[in-house]
Amino acid sequence: MPNVSSAGRTIKHKNEGVLALIIINKAGGLIYNRTFAEGLNQLNTNDYLVLAGTFHGVHAITARLNPLKAHQGATPAGTRPEPPSGLEVLETENFRMQCFNTQTGIKFLLFTDTLQTGVNEGTMRRVYELYADYVMKNPFYQLEMPVRCDMFDRKLNSYIREINNSR
Amino acid sequence: MPVQVFSFYIFDRHTECVYTKLWIAPPPALPPSSSSPASDLAAPASASHATGGGSGANGLLSAAAAATAASRRASDDAKLIFGTVFSLRNMARKLGGDDDAFISYRTAQYKLHYYETPSNLRFAMLTEPGAPGMRNVLHQIYINLWVEYVVKNPLSPVEHKGGEGVRNEMFEMGLDKFVRGLM
Repeated sequence: MPNVSSAGRTIKHKNEGVLALIIINKAGGLIYNRTFAEGLNQLNTNDYLVLAGTFHGVHAITARLNPLKAHQGATPAGTRPEPPSGLEVLETENFRMQCFNTQTGIKFLLFTDTLQTGVNEGTMRRVYELYADYVMKNPFYQLEMPVRCDMFDRKLNSYIREINNSR
Repeated sequence: MPVQVFSFYIFDRHTECVYTKLWIAPPPALPPSSSSPASDLAAPASASHATGGGSGANGLLSAAAAATAASRRASDDAKLIFGTVFSLRNMARKLGGDDDAFISYRTAQYKLHYYETPSNLRFAMLTEPGAPGMRNVLHQIYINLWVEYVVKNPLSPVEHKGGEGVRNEMFEMGLDKFVRGLM
C-alpha cells in the first residue's frame, strides 16, 4: 500500500486533493494565497511574493519559447492568430500545478497532489467565476490589491471541500 | 505511440548549454519579403543592424547576417530555456521540499520535459503538448548515450566548454536514431 507508511499513518501530500490556490495580478503581484490541505511547504509571506513574481516572469518566457512559432503560416485575412499560451500545467514529483490565465492577465494557480486528475480547466473556470462574483462585484474591493473578501473565502472553501471530499 | 519531438538541450553544471539539437527545420532567418536586395534597401531599419549600416545589401552579406541572426536566436532560446527550468526547479523545491524534482510543464503549443542528474547535468526536451512523460527517455539518453559516448570517451575533455567533446559522431548518431525511433 503505497499511501500508508510503516507506522500506519498516511503519508502527507499524497492523497489530499487540492492543496492551495494563489492568485497573481496582471503586474505579477500576489493578491491571494490560501492553503486548503497539508502537502506543500509553508513559506513566509515574502517568499510567496517572490514566488508570484518569479512565476509571472517564467510564464511570459514560456509563452515566447514556442518552437513552432516560425513555422506557422499566415493566418487568413480578417482573423487574428491564436495568442501564444504560457505555462498551463506544471508537474513535479510531489505536486501538480494548474495555471489559468484570464483574458485580463490575472493568473490562478491551483496546486494539487500528483494523483489528482479531476482538476482541469473546468475547475479553474469555476474558481474564476467565484472570483468574478464575490471579488469583482464587491464594491469595496480595489482593483489589483490583495483580496480580502469573506464571501469569496467561504464559497471557495466549500467548493474545494466538495472536490476534496468527492475523491 | 509516435511523439513529435521538437528540440533537445543539454546544460552542464556551469549552466552553459553544451549541446542543442533541433528536429524541426530552423526558422527562416528573415521574413521572405526582405530577402531580395531591393526590399533590403527599402526597409533598412530592420536589416541594417547586423550588416553594418545597410550599405552592403548584396546577397552574400545578408546571408551571413541571417546566419548570425539565426545562431544568436538559437543561443537566446537555449538561455531562455535554461532560465525557465532553473526557476521552475527552484520553485518546485521551495514548495515541494528539497527532495522534490521538477518533471515537466505544458503549454497549449508544446511540452517541456526535464531531467537533472545528481551531478547537475540538465537535460531538456521539447515535444508536442500531448506527449506522455519523457523523463525515462531523458534518463536513457543520459545512461546509454551521454555516459557511453561522452563520459567514456578518453579524448573528451572533463568540462565541455562550448560543447567540446559532446558533438562526436557516435553521440550525435545515437541520439538522432533514438529520438527518430520515438517519432
